[in-house]
Amino acid sequence: MSAEPRAAHISELEIRDVAYHDRRWAQLRATFGISAFGVNVWTAERPDQIVINEHEEDGPRPHEELYFVANGHAVFTINGDEIDAPAGTFVFVRDPAAKRKAVAKEAETTVLAAGGPRGHPFEVREWERGVQALRHWQTKDWESAIADLSDLHAEYPDDAMILYNLACAESLAGRREDALGHLQQSVQLDGKFAEYAADDSDLDAIRDDPEFSAVAGQADTPSSSA
Amino acid sequence: MSAYEVVHLDELERLPVDDEGLLWRPLRRRIGLEAFGSNAWTAAKAGDRVVEEHKEEDGHEELYFVASGRATFTLGDEEIDAPPGTVIFAPPGTQRAATAAEPDTTVVVFGAKPGVPHKVSEWEDTFAAYAYLKLGDEEQGRKAIASALERDTWRSHYHAACFESLTGNPDQALEHLLRAVELDAKAREWAQDDRDLDSIRDRPEFPA
Repeated sequence: MSAEPRAAHISELEIRDVAYHDRRWAQLRATFGISAFGVNVWTAERPDQIVINEHEEDGPRPHEELYFVANGHAVFTINGDEIDAPAGTFVFVRDPAAKRKAVAKEAETTVLAAGGPRGHPFEVREWERGVQALRHWQTKDWESAIADLSDLHAEYPDDAMILYNLACAESLAGRREDALGHLQQSVQLDGKFAEYAADDSDLDAIRDDPEFSAVAGQADTPSSSA
Repeated sequence: MSAYEVVHLDELERLPVDDEGLLWRPLRRRIGLEAFGSNAWTAAKAGDRVVEEHKEEDGHEELYFVASGRATFTLGDEEIDAPPGTVIFAPPGTQRAATAAEPDTTVVVFGAKPGVPHKVSEWEDTFAAYAYLKLGDEEQGRKAIASALERDTWRSHYHAACFESLTGNPDQALEHLLRAVELDAKAREWAQDDRDLDSIRDRPEFPA
């Protein structure tokens, strides 16, 4: 990919979303350096797989979000209402506080998600900081992942997602003590990562450790998507 | 106002906006999206236009997604074959356009200007006004012009002048044209060879 890519097929950009539900993920905003709105594409490979994780878009910079089912067939749930969404459906969630998620009804269900704050300039969301490091999962280059995430952790010491992904990379690289330490810090900052840790195979190498059991046990809601 | 809106692409209007087959599928105004712009564009036949040639000189970043069919984009000097699933990013100021390489090609676009709160683009109302007129629905077109005029900009008065000229209301056309020129001298330039204004060109008050 060139320094300033202008065009691509989403299949050329997709990585595995190791943090959430093992979906495929094309990071459109980050890839193209878009700074006026958030935009990403997720693909669920099999029926019943989550394609948009359950979340709200409220918080300090609430977003309106527009979803477009580009391929396959999804079922959205918004504030408990179920919405059948075959390919070609636009789902616009105006209310940032609305709880939304989408599950694939067919294999290869692709959903674009675009978002931004109404009445305010767009700013890149915190959760996107560490996403480029997830590319190393494709090549299983855990040392590069650890190096990138350690740099990000030094820059953003209170970012729980960076710490969580660092713990995963360290677990995969066989660095047991580092992984347990960073996982613990991550969960202390945000309890939802205990829930993710419970069934994340990246952490299997440290799962039998008594310290791991001590860390797991809290729950919260997943974060935003665009 | 409900927490969400759902609409299928097939339910969006098909508004003709030029003589090259470009059909605007107004999405943003249908769902009430305000944080950024988003619309779909369709070409019914191969060879028809599916993205208007333009530069986004008002500073919008734009991301195009080919939803169906197949498009040929030009981005600056580059030509891009774009099957469904292709994404194309055009920074502001970059000349871009696309034609359909297959029938029923639809492109979905997202756009906004970095660093500022999003403002709904002025072209939406005027595109709608001319499209409804082309479809023979003057009443709907008039509603779109009325909505454009709420901004009281030179462009809104200029397009109101054209709309009134085309619908046989020369006095109102002239009034809007003079107001447009008063707001910005560019309106005078535009008026010189705009055939939409031919019905009032011979009036002594016409800004020459």
